[in-house]
Amino acid sequence: MTQSYVDLDVRPILRDGGEPFGKIMEAVAALGQDQGLRLYATFKPVPLFGVLEAKGFTHEAKEIGGGDWEVLFRRSGTPVKREAETAPATSTAGWPDPVQQMDNRDLEPPEPMVRILSALETMEAGEVLSALLRREPMFLFPQLAKRGHTWRGGLEPDGINYKILIRVGRPPDTAA
Amino acid sequence: MLGTTLSRWTMSYFAAALCFLIGAEALMAAGYGFPSAPLRAPETLLLVHLVAIGWLSLLVCGALLQFVPVIVARPLHNDTLPLPALLFLIAGLAGLLGGFLQLAGTFTANFSLFPFATAALATGFGLILYNLGRTLAAVRPLPLAARFVGVALISLVATVALGGTFALSLGLTISNPLALKIASSALPLHVVAGVGGWLTFAAMGVSYRLLAMFMLAPELEGGRPHMVLWLGTIALAVTILGGLALLIADASLSPALLAGGILSLAALGLYGADVLYLYRARTRRIIELNSEMTAFALVSFAAAAILALALAGLQRFSGQIGALTFLVLFGWLTGLGLAKLYKIIAFLTWLECYGPVLGKTSTPRVQDLVAEGRARGWFFLYYAATWVATAALLASFVLLFRLAAAAMMLATVAIIIQLIRTRLLLNIHDLAAFPAGVHRPHLLVCVPESS
Repeated sequence: MTQSYVDLDVRPILRDGGEPFGKIMEAVAALGQDQGLRLYATFKPVPLFGVLEAKGFTHEAKEIGGGDWEVLFRRSGTPVKREAETAPATSTAGWPDPVQQMDNRDLEPPEPMVRILSALETMEAGEVLSALLRREPMFLFPQLAKRGHTWRGGLEPDGINYKILIRVGRPPDTAA
Repeated sequence: MLGTTLSRWTMSYFAAALCFLIGAEALMAAGYGFPSAPLRAPETLLLVHLVAIGWLSLLVCGALLQFVPVIVARPLHNDTLPLPALLFLIAGLAGLLGGFLQLAGTFTANFSLFPFATAALATGFGLILYNLGRTLAAVRPLPLAARFVGVALISLVATVALGGTFALSLGLTISNPLALKIASSALPLHVVAGVGGWLTFAAMGVSYRLLAMFMLAPELEGGRPHMVLWLGTIALAVTILGGLALLIADASLSPALLAGGILSLAALGLYGADVLYLYRARTRRIIELNSEMTAFALVSFAAAAILALALAGLQRFSGQIGALTFLVLFGWLTGLGLAKLYKIIAFLTWLECYGPVLGKTSTPRVQDLVAEGRARGWFFLYYAATWVATAALLASFVLLFRLAAAAMMLATVAIIIQLIRTRLLLNIHDLAAFPAGVHRPHLLVCVPESS
C-alpha cells in the first residue's frame, strides 16, 4: 500500500551525540497515508521498531556499510496494540542467553541504574544482561539509548516486578 | 518509549518558589496581614496568594513538569513551554500582589492591575495545563498517581476561574450579576478548589509514588487508594459544583461545605492508613531525612483534620479558619514541599552531572550530595516554629505568632542554603568525584546531557 518514501538521515545528529527520536517522530507524524519513511542511522535502531510498530508500521532494515543502517518503515495499516509496559525492542528472538543476571529489587534508587550501567561497561557488544527491578526504570532508558544499547522490558506475570533484558551495543557516537 | 530526561526549567521553578516563600515568611514576621490585619483584608489576601501561587503553585508546577513524565512513562508534551509559563505566572503574581496593594491603598493608580494579573495568571496556568494535559492524555489507562494529578489539574481550572472572577470584579471590570454574586460569596469554594483540590491532590498523588520509591515500599494500586481518589474527587465536586448551584439559587453554601467536609475527612482517613502502610511495608530500614521530615508534614495534615473536627464540634470553625488554613499551608504543604525538595534536588543534580559517566568511572552516591546532619536541626526548627505559630493563632497571641514566623524564616533560609550546597555539589569534597565528562551544574537550569 505504500507508494513512496520520505528520506530522513539522522546520522549527523547521532554523530554529534544528539538524540534524533523527536525528529524521527516528527517526520513520521508528517507522513501521508501512502508514504513510508526511509531512515539512515549509525546503528540498527531496534528501539524504534517497537515504537513505530505500535503506530502501524512494519520495518525492513539492512546494513549499508561503514556500520550504517538503512531502514524502510512501511504502513501495514494495522497499528499493533502493545502493553503499556513494553519497552522498545520488538523481540528478543535471536538474542543470546543473558551472560549476567541481576536482582536489583532491594536496592534504593538510583543504585539499580548504577549497577546496570556499570555491568554493561564490562560486557562485550552483543551480550545480554538481565535485571529484575521494582519498577520501570524511566531514567535508565535515555542512558541506554545514548550508549547504543537495545532493550526489552516488561512487568513479570506477578504484575509487581519488572524485568529488563539489555543487549550491549556500540555507542552511536563511536560508530561513525 | 525512550524514557524520561531532565526537565530543563524545574530548578528555575523551585528557585522562584523558594524566594516567594522567604518573602511570605518575612511579611508574617513583620506583622503584615493576618493575624495583625483581618482575615479578608487586602494585606492578608496578598500574603495568602504569595504563599499559594508564588511558593506552592510554582513548586508543584516545577515538580509535576519533572515527575508527570516519570509517572506515566511518556516524555513531556513540550519542553519549551515551561519557561514562558513561569514568566507569565511570575508577572501575573506580581500584578495580583500589586492589585491587592491598590486595594489596601498602599499605592494608587487610575487603572486596576487585576485584569492584567488575571490574564497573565490564566495564560501561565493555561500553558502548564495544556502541557501536562497533553502529556496525560496520551496515556491509557492512567496510573493511580496520574489520576490524582488529573483531578488536581481540573481543580486548578476551577481555582483560576473563580479567582479570575473575583479579581475582575475587584478591578470593577465586570458587572454581570451572576459573576458579582460569585465574587461576593464563592470565596470558600476558591479556597477548597485551590488548597484542597489543586495543591493537596497533587501532593497526595505524587507522595504515594515518591514515598514508595524512596522507601522501597510496594506500589499501592489496590482498592483503598482508589477509594481515596474517588471520595476525594466526589468531595471536591460536591463542594465546588454543589456550592455554585446553591449560590445561584441564593441559598447558603453550608450544606455543600459540610457534605464535602465529611467526604474529604473519610478520604483523608483512608489516605492516612495508606501512608502508614507505606512506612511499615518499606524494605529500607533506615529512613532518609526527606522521608523522616515528610512524616512531620503528614502529622501536621492529620492534626489539621482533627483540629477541623474539634473546631466544628465547638462551633468555633469559622472563627479559627485562619489558624486551620495556616496549618494546612505551612505544616502540611510547605513541610512536605521542603522535605521532598531536599531529595529531589539531590537526585536530579546527581543524574544531570553523573548520569553520562555512570558505570564508566566511579561516581559519588546521591546521598553524598547532601549533608543530612546539618539540615536535620533546621527542619526540626521549621516544624516546631510552625506548630507554635498555629497555637499562637488559635490563642490570638500575635507577638508569639510573629516570633514563630521569624523562626520559620530562619529555618527556611538555612534549609535553602543546604539545597544550594547540594545543587552546586559543595558537599562533595573529594576531587576524584569530578572525573572528565562531569560538569558543574547551573543553579537554575538543568542542562540535558551532552556526553
